[in-house]
Amino acid sequence: MTSILIKALKSIYISVPSQNAKFATSAICSNTLSITNKEWKYPPTFTKPREVWIENLDTIEEKKLGLFELHPTVYGATPRIDIIHRNVIWQRKYRWVSWAHTKTRAEVRGGGRKPWPQKGLGKARHGSIRSPLFRGGGVIHGPRAGNTHFFMLPFHLRLYGLTSTLSAKLAQDDLHVVKDLDIPSDNSEYLAELILSRNWGPSVLIVDDTDYAPRNITVATGNLPHVNLMPVYGLNVYSMLKHDTLILTQSAAEKIEDRILQLLHSDTRKQQAKFKLDQV
Amino acid sequence: MEWLSSKVLKVLWRPTVNIVRTRYHSEKQQIIKRYGYEEKLWCGGLLPRSNGKRLPMPEYRPANPWTEKKALYGQNDYIDILGNGQIHPVKTLYTVPAWIRGVSGNEYQVLLRKKKLFSKTGYPAVRPKKWKELEKRLLFLSKMLNRKTKTGMSRD
Repeated sequence: MTSILIKALKSIYISVPSQNAKFATSAICSNTLSITNKEWKYPPTFTKPREVWIENLDTIEEKKLGLFELHPTVYGATPRIDIIHRNVIWQRKYRWVSWAHTKTRAEVRGGGRKPWPQKGLGKARHGSIRSPLFRGGGVIHGPRAGNTHFFMLPFHLRLYGLTSTLSAKLAQDDLHVVKDLDIPSDNSEYLAELILSRNWGPSVLIVDDTDYAPRNITVATGNLPHVNLMPVYGLNVYSMLKHDTLILTQSAAEKIEDRILQLLHSDTRKQQAKFKLDQV
Repeated sequence: MEWLSSKVLKVLWRPTVNIVRTRYHSEKQQIIKRYGYEEKLWCGGLLPRSNGKRLPMPEYRPANPWTEKKALYGQNDYIDILGNGQIHPVKTLYTVPAWIRGVSGNEYQVLLRKKKLFSKTGYPAVRPKKWKELEKRLLFLSKMLNRKTKTGMSRD
C-alpha cells in the first residue's frame, strides 16, 4: 500500500514540470552544484571551515544540491561533554518548582484542647492531638510548597553548550543541512519513508528560521510525535540531545552562526551580569 | 400424709431419664460480631501460590516519552542567545506561576515574595485562611531564623 502510494507520488512529482527545473538539472549535473564560499564578518583564523552538503526534502532519495560552509567556531568546536551536561542540568533545574507540601502542627485542623489531664491517668502527657507524635498530626521538616531549584548558568557556558552540542552533532554525522522544508505531500508516511531511507534515526528535530513552516511539513509531522519542528530561537541543548538527528535549513544554519558569532565577538557584560529577579 | 405418699412414690418409681439434644454443634451458626468492621489482615489461610505462578502484578504500562510536553521540553531556553536578544528565557517559563518564576531562595524568602505580590491582589480577602497561615508561617520562620540559626548557615 505504502509503496504504491509512494510510487504514485513519485510519478506525480516527476510528471509535474517543476518550478525549480533549474534546480533539478543542477542536482543531476554535478558540475553545476551550488558551491558557496562564504565571507564571514569574523572569519576563522586558524581552522578551516566545515563543509556540509545541502540536501533536499522533496524526494525520498537524497540529492545533493550544493556544498555549504559552516563556521568552525560554531560547528567545529571541541565538544565539551561536561559543558553539555551542565547545560542539560540547568535546563531541567531552572524551571523546576517542587509543589510537594505537608502541614505543620499549626496548620492541621483542630488540636487546640488538651486531650487528657496532665496527671493522674497513668498516660503520657500531651497538649495537642495534632502534635507530630500523633497519627494525623503535623509533620516536622516536611516538604513545603514552592521549593525552587532555580539558577542561571553563566552566559558563556550556555553559549559554549550550544556550540559544543552543534559540533558534536556535526562530527557524528547527525546534523544535516537542507535547502528548504518543501515536501510534495502532506502525508506523514512520506516523511517516515524519507527518514528511514536516509538513516536519520527514529527521532528528528527540524529547525527553520521562520515561525511558520510550510503547510505540508507541519501536517506531515503532526502525526509523528518523534519528528518535531522548531524555530531557531527555540533550539536548545536538551532537544538536540533528545532527538537523534538535527535538520537545519540553510537559512537557520546561517542565522544560528550569525547570532553565536556576534555574541562571541561583542561586549556581553550585560548578559554576563548577575541575574536579578524582576529586572530581566 | 401427703409428705409420706410423695416419699413412697420417690422410692418406688424411678424412671430412666434420657437426655435428648435439640441443638448440635455442627448446626451452630457463626454469630456476626462487629458488623461493618472490615478485617484488614489476611484470614483466608495460606497465601495464594499456585504451582510457581506469580502473584498478580500490575500491568506494565510504559510512559510515552514523545508526548508534546516531553518532545518539546526545553524549547526557548536559549532565546536570549538565538532570538533577537530582547527577551530573557525566564520570561518564557509559562508553566510556572508568575510570582515564582526565576525565584531562588529559602522558604522564608519565597514566602516573603509571595506575600509582597499577593497582598496587592484579592488573595487576602478571598482566601483569608491561607493568608493567615502564610503570615503565621512567616512569623514563625523569622523568629526561627533570627533566634535559632547562625547567619548564612541556614538551609531553611
